[in-house]
Amino acid sequence: MKTESSIVLEAENVSRSFGAETILANVSLQIRSGEVTTVVGPSGSGKTTLLTLLALLLQPSSGRVLVGGRDAAKLSDTERSRLRNTFYGFVFQTAQLVGSLSVLDNVLLPALLAGKAREKRPAARELLDRLGLGERAGFLPHQLSVGQKRRAALARALLLRPAVILADEPTNDLDVHRAEQVADFLLALPDEGYALVLVTHDFHLAKRAGNRWNLHEGKLTPPAQLPSPVLVER
Amino acid sequence: MIRLIINGLLRRRWQSLAATIGVAIGAGLLFAVFLLYEGLDKGLERGRQRLGADLLVVPSNATVDPDKALFAGSPLSVYMDKKYSALAAKVPGVKRVDGQFFTQSLRLDCCSVGSETRLIGIEKAVIGRLAGMSPNGRDHLDADEVIIGSEIMGGISRPGSLIELLGSIFRLAYRLEPTGTSLDHSILMPIDSAQALAADSEALKPVWQEAGDPRGLISALLIEVDDPRQVREIAQALEDMGPVKVIRAADTFQRLKRLMDSFVLILASAGIFTALGGIAYLLGHFSSAAWDRKGEWALYRALGATKLGLAELIIGEAVTLALAGAAVGLPLGCGLYRLAQAHLTAQNALPFVPPGLALLVAAAVAILGIYSSIGFLSAAAPALRVSQLEPALTMAQGDID
Repeated sequence: MKTESSIVLEAENVSRSFGAETILANVSLQIRSGEVTTVVGPSGSGKTTLLTLLALLLQPSSGRVLVGGRDAAKLSDTERSRLRNTFYGFVFQTAQLVGSLSVLDNVLLPALLAGKAREKRPAARELLDRLGLGERAGFLPHQLSVGQKRRAALARALLLRPAVILADEPTNDLDVHRAEQVADFLLALPDEGYALVLVTHDFHLAKRAGNRWNLHEGKLTPPAQLPSPVLVER
Repeated sequence: MIRLIINGLLRRRWQSLAATIGVAIGAGLLFAVFLLYEGLDKGLERGRQRLGADLLVVPSNATVDPDKALFAGSPLSVYMDKKYSALAAKVPGVKRVDGQFFTQSLRLDCCSVGSETRLIGIEKAVIGRLAGMSPNGRDHLDADEVIIGSEIMGGISRPGSLIELLGSIFRLAYRLEPTGTSLDHSILMPIDSAQALAADSEALKPVWQEAGDPRGLISALLIEVDDPRQVREIAQALEDMGPVKVIRAADTFQRLKRLMDSFVLILASAGIFTALGGIAYLLGHFSSAAWDRKGEWALYRALGATKLGLAELIIGEAVTLALAGAAVGLPLGCGLYRLAQAHLTAQNALPFVPPGLALLVAAAVAILGIYSSIGFLSAAAPALRVSQLEPALTMAQGDID
């Protein structure tokens, strides 16, 4: 079910430097609900930095990130934290699972932090089932394969039904079959109303996703002006 | 949040166990030292209050440990003519003279009491002063009434209960509050009654054949003076009365106090150094643990934990660990205290009044409070440092599982 598209997240002339090195320069991007936005670029081009800026995990050196029209810089730590908890679902480049928590508890982590673990337990189980990990709910992360960890991280990102899913190289380190499964799952999310931001250098994923933006040396080029994607063949 | 705290502790179970044991030892020692100090302090104070005497006069042939006689309430099975009571009262500067009469220990084969128990005859004035240790405020005794120590005849406590002693029937006036001395194992009665009882006892007849009629004997004189500055001169005058020896309470008290202070200082030093060691250990433990886990904290921040929430999590782990350690340490400390108390009581070396239940509970709560504060303080700085981290930069340093 496709919902009406509206801007939920926006980067407005955002730049970020680390010391003298500029990683992102005047990047502007609008993220809409029910749509996928794909950012492609080679390693070191600033893709992850852009994603973490959009996720309010980093502060821009200049420019603004607007969340639902509100300038994120003007939000308190509590408001930003609440947004990270409920507005965003982040799939990190590595799974980032807590080794001592079961797969189910890892999925429940955002709910544990929000004090809603009991309430969200059925939803967590349902997500694990959908992602083929229902049998692994009680396992510890070290008992999972890389692909299973990635799917567990995906379940965690979706648990609180966020408005925006930010996925950083979601098919990285996966074999073709598993990468296709993850891609299928991710690319179906906009149909459920999610805004999906994909950062990848996976040619197949980028090709399937569409709406490709190219990030090169910190500069973002819109899809219409994309001459040839800087992608790698799997 | 609680689940995350427990999980964080269980994940490093050996480190957590080591920290818990460290805290438990410190808390236990602190608890035991505090209770022992309170018991000794109160015992000494009560010993002083009970006697209210500046000087103790005993027969010159008495082999007496002044500390025990004055403050541990140890009775003397020696006798002197009771004329010394009147003579002492005439010495210039003497304000009050109280005589005491002790019989030999009573045993199962000679009376109704089931264990070795001392019988002490005391004068009316002393009975009046004991009223402060009486639960019913009695300040006098009838001729057939007795006061019993806190540790004997456990089944008898109701005033008016009948007690058979050396073939005679007495009524219970009241049971003394604990003193931590041999008084806890003694029976007190009016001096005339004690002397008459002793005189009539067939079992004690051989004693009186040698010492004389007990109605004309006393065991000790408790002397209070008008001016404590003259106590040395008065003591000399009392010794000039005849074959008696005089023990000065002030000297003995000071010596005992110094002994006790040294004892407590050693214990307190051990307790404090252990507690300080525990604090240093906890500081190191939580500082490194918080920093080692910064990837995990960054993930929590990324998933929505506020700075305050993260600090609560880190501090919560520290406080939980400190509280668990203190909770384990309290029964250990209690055991140590019981051992020391039993030893002190058995030796009858120092007056000891066991702290009441209320003080015990208050001390336990205070120890828990102290250690939770230590846990809080040891984790506060690492928590503050970690909460300032940029989640994205920290997470970029690697995976956390």
